[in-house]
Amino acid sequence: MLHENPMRETNWRRWNVAITGMNASPESPGPGFAVARSIREHRHFQGRIIGLGYDVLDAGLYSKTVCNGGYLVPYPSAGRDALLERIYQVHALEGLDAIIPCLDAELQNFIGIQSELNNLGIKMLIPTREQFTLRAKDHLSEFCRSIGVDAPETKTITNPLFFDECEAQGWQYPLMVKGIFYDATVARNSHEAKAIFAKLVHSWGYPVLVQKIIPGDEYDLAAIGDGHCRMLGAVMMRKRGLTEKGKAWAGVTVVDEAIGKVAEKIIRGLAWRGPLEVEVMKGYDGKIYLIEINPRFPAWIYLSHAVGRNLPAALLQTLANEPELDLSPPKPGTFFIRHAQELIVELDEFESLYVNGGISTPIQETHHTGLNDNEKFRAAS
Amino acid sequence: MTMAAAELLKELSKDDRLSRIAVSDTGFIFDPQTGQSFTLNKTGLVTLSHLKKGSSIDETADQLARQYGVTEEVALNSVEAFLLQLGRYL
Amino acid sequence: MDSSVDITDIGTWEPPFIQPHKMGALNKFGQRTLRDNICREVFGVPVNDLVRRYGSPVFVVGEKHLRQNIRRIKSAFEQRYNLAVHGWSYKTNYISAICRILHQEGSLAEVVSKFEYEKARFLGVPGEQIIFNGPNKPKDILRRAIEDGALIQADHMEELKMLEAVADELGRIVKIGIRINFDTGFTEPWSRFGFNLESGQVNEAINFISRSDHLRLSSLHSHIGTFVLEPRAYAEQVRIMCELMRKLEGVENVAIDTIDIGGGIPSRNALQTIYLPPEQAVPDINEYADAICEALLAGTRYRKEIGKELPRLIFESGRAVIDDAEVLITSVVGTKRLPDGRRAAILDAGTNLLFTAYWYNHQVKMTRNAAGSEEETVLYGPLCMNIDVVRHSISLPPLAAGDHLVISPVGAYNNTQWLQFIEYRPNVVLAQESGGCSVIRQAEDLGVMMAQDQIPAHLASLDLSGKIRPLSRSGNHPTLNRKLV
Repeated sequence: MLHENPMRETNWRRWNVAITGMNASPESPGPGFAVARSIREHRHFQGRIIGLGYDVLDAGLYSKTVCNGGYLVPYPSAGRDALLERIYQVHALEGLDAIIPCLDAELQNFIGIQSELNNLGIKMLIPTREQFTLRAKDHLSEFCRSIGVDAPETKTITNPLFFDECEAQGWQYPLMVKGIFYDATVARNSHEAKAIFAKLVHSWGYPVLVQKIIPGDEYDLAAIGDGHCRMLGAVMMRKRGLTEKGKAWAGVTVVDEAIGKVAEKIIRGLAWRGPLEVEVMKGYDGKIYLIEINPRFPAWIYLSHAVGRNLPAALLQTLANEPELDLSPPKPGTFFIRHAQELIVELDEFESLYVNGGISTPIQETHHTGLNDNEKFRAAS
Repeated sequence: MTMAAAELLKELSKDDRLSRIAVSDTGFIFDPQTGQSFTLNKTGLVTLSHLKKGSSIDETADQLARQYGVTEEVALNSVEAFLLQLGRYL
Repeated sequence: MDSSVDITDIGTWEPPFIQPHKMGALNKFGQRTLRDNICREVFGVPVNDLVRRYGSPVFVVGEKHLRQNIRRIKSAFEQRYNLAVHGWSYKTNYISAICRILHQEGSLAEVVSKFEYEKARFLGVPGEQIIFNGPNKPKDILRRAIEDGALIQADHMEELKMLEAVADELGRIVKIGIRINFDTGFTEPWSRFGFNLESGQVNEAINFISRSDHLRLSSLHSHIGTFVLEPRAYAEQVRIMCELMRKLEGVENVAIDTIDIGGGIPSRNALQTIYLPPEQAVPDINEYADAICEALLAGTRYRKEIGKELPRLIFESGRAVIDDAEVLITSVVGTKRLPDGRRAAILDAGTNLLFTAYWYNHQVKMTRNAAGSEEETVLYGPLCMNIDVVRHSISLPPLAAGDHLVISPVGAYNNTQWLQFIEYRPNVVLAQESGGCSVIRQAEDLGVMMAQDQIPAHLASLDLSGKIRPLSRSGNHPTLNRKLV
């Protein structure tokens, strides 16, 4: 039973929006909950927000102030077909208008089901497979060269003996050692480097990337690419505090034209479609080095709402072809400091997510399915 | 074997331990004393509901045999095995 | 939620069970298989018919599927580089009918041992259509290969010396290849095979050949690994090989006419160590062909400029050709509930037949709609060996004895690496392109198993009189007759 509605809502303010990445552990939160919170707090938004999660402990799924419901979806490793089947079920219950994927690992699956979702009237602003690949870690140096952006010297390696001989070849410690998908650790000597290498190969396979460390300050930029080489609404942030895993837990908005130019080059070079986060190092030599391009909003995206440039809402407006995005001028000097907080979950909510794979508050508005909650979940699980 | 299961049932019935276990018709159960949650299969749910009402092992087996059309011996063996599992977790 | 409960739907009988929730991986949708996960027929033949006619377990190869695979792969290379030739890697699956199909499709035989060489010749492959690789080539088979005109690619210095000696004995000039290894920066270097480039071993080999009276170097061979997921690794391999070829132009006794890039192209199988599903992790064959042929055209451009012919490209894909053209049908013989709560099923096929289960998570499909909810299940094989596990964790509905399961893809390396341990190996059946089925490798029986055994005279008869105590003296063992309570 799919939710067939030929007259899909065209007004983004009343959309049902599904958002992934609702894990919100303090050490390394997913961006989904921050995206949801930004949309929920936008002054014009009156729709429903549905969290999509990968574990019953994904906190965002239970947050009644932000989400109207939450559903578990298959792990990315289960593949596109399993995801599509599950999205069909959630759509049958909730009548989705848009999905905002927020995690790197799931993005290829969403790219793979885009045309099916389009046919249902579910919109996504996401990159193509080619754009996604070009910005991947092991293609990044090549890409930077092609658009004339500086990047720290990077080498792919498969043989850990490199770490014994590298200093003779101009690779001085400390060096950044990175997994092909995730994880980056600083190695101060060959002994450390080889241990990190072994761990990365075990988790993510070959090859491993080695990157020279640029002395300088870290900056992040979040923006949206419209798919036609245009950058929408950049928000820049200087990291002011890092967790042990190197994630920002404090930062402050800045306005730096040079960083903006780098991001524009990237978006133009890729014709990027969708949200993105650009991580750069502003070297003490005055140059800007591109460290990473993440194909999604960052976890600190709520800061964009705070400075009047609500990028998650702007993404919905872009999908709805709004002629004007309501973005205030860039505003430096606004801080964020991330803090942990306990969310209260009742036993029956936990049970519902565990047993049925979903929780939901009643649907009042346009998309009523005529089933009560329990019947709904039974039908879907 | 029969003795061990009977002992366990006696132990679990002490202080209303068994009757305080929160049970949902989905098979989700929660032990308020340990904070642990569990899933029961359908037959486990039916068996536990009999035991919670105070049925003895034999009475429970008898009812299961009638409800599912299995022999009393099969039902009895299963109830005893189930009690051993409950004894491990509760 | 209440402390008492009314149950309207009591379900069907299975032993009652309680399972504690473990934190950390709580998502019953996480590993869920598709609802429509039923496979009633394979390569157009109903599974039930196959089991009825050929027994269980049974391997089934789809001829049409196999031919489509090889045609697609060959054309991907040929349309980009018209001197591309495929070498069928015998070790991947050397069942005779499969080799014959691939030779019919125009593939050379790529063999790596005396046995494989003799098998290729036995199947009617002329020597000049055989590529002879591998680290162990005894003298007698080298002699035959030289006489037959096969392309021999040497792995180490002793082999070069032996080749020189045999060629001398035969009084012949022999065109050979050498296997080389080097670091592409993309895969773990396989430095145990062939001559290493970075450390100068390749130079040593070339020097030996250029001083030789009988050997002529005509081919460079390398093989960068297995299940290589990065097409750029091949581009780098080809670039390095072409660079070497260019350096060798004009060297005494060297005239390279063949670049052999080995195999290693993956199939759509799910490696246990790779996080993404195969349809995302494994690039299309055209991406490999693109990377390889582009690099080759760039690396050999100089030859056009100096008016020399371009080299032939040999690629030795095995896995990508055969893997998904074969399935294994197996049956459930028993089920269990493990003490940790997981379901388990025992199958009549395990790692004895499915050696690749040690590194893949094979796809497993049921052949009927099963009632009951999916749960994490372990699939065990029939061996009395703890490591005999077909799937460590798969989400399946309740299985029952007699259920058939279809496991795929299994075409690569299983029919060659399978173990003869305590069980007979089963029938391998070809679902023919023209319709109908035929057995292409017969199930083993006691006769097959005994054929190689020889019994010395002093063990010729088995007289047991008075030597062995019977397990029980009579049928009236006191403890066996008592009803268990």
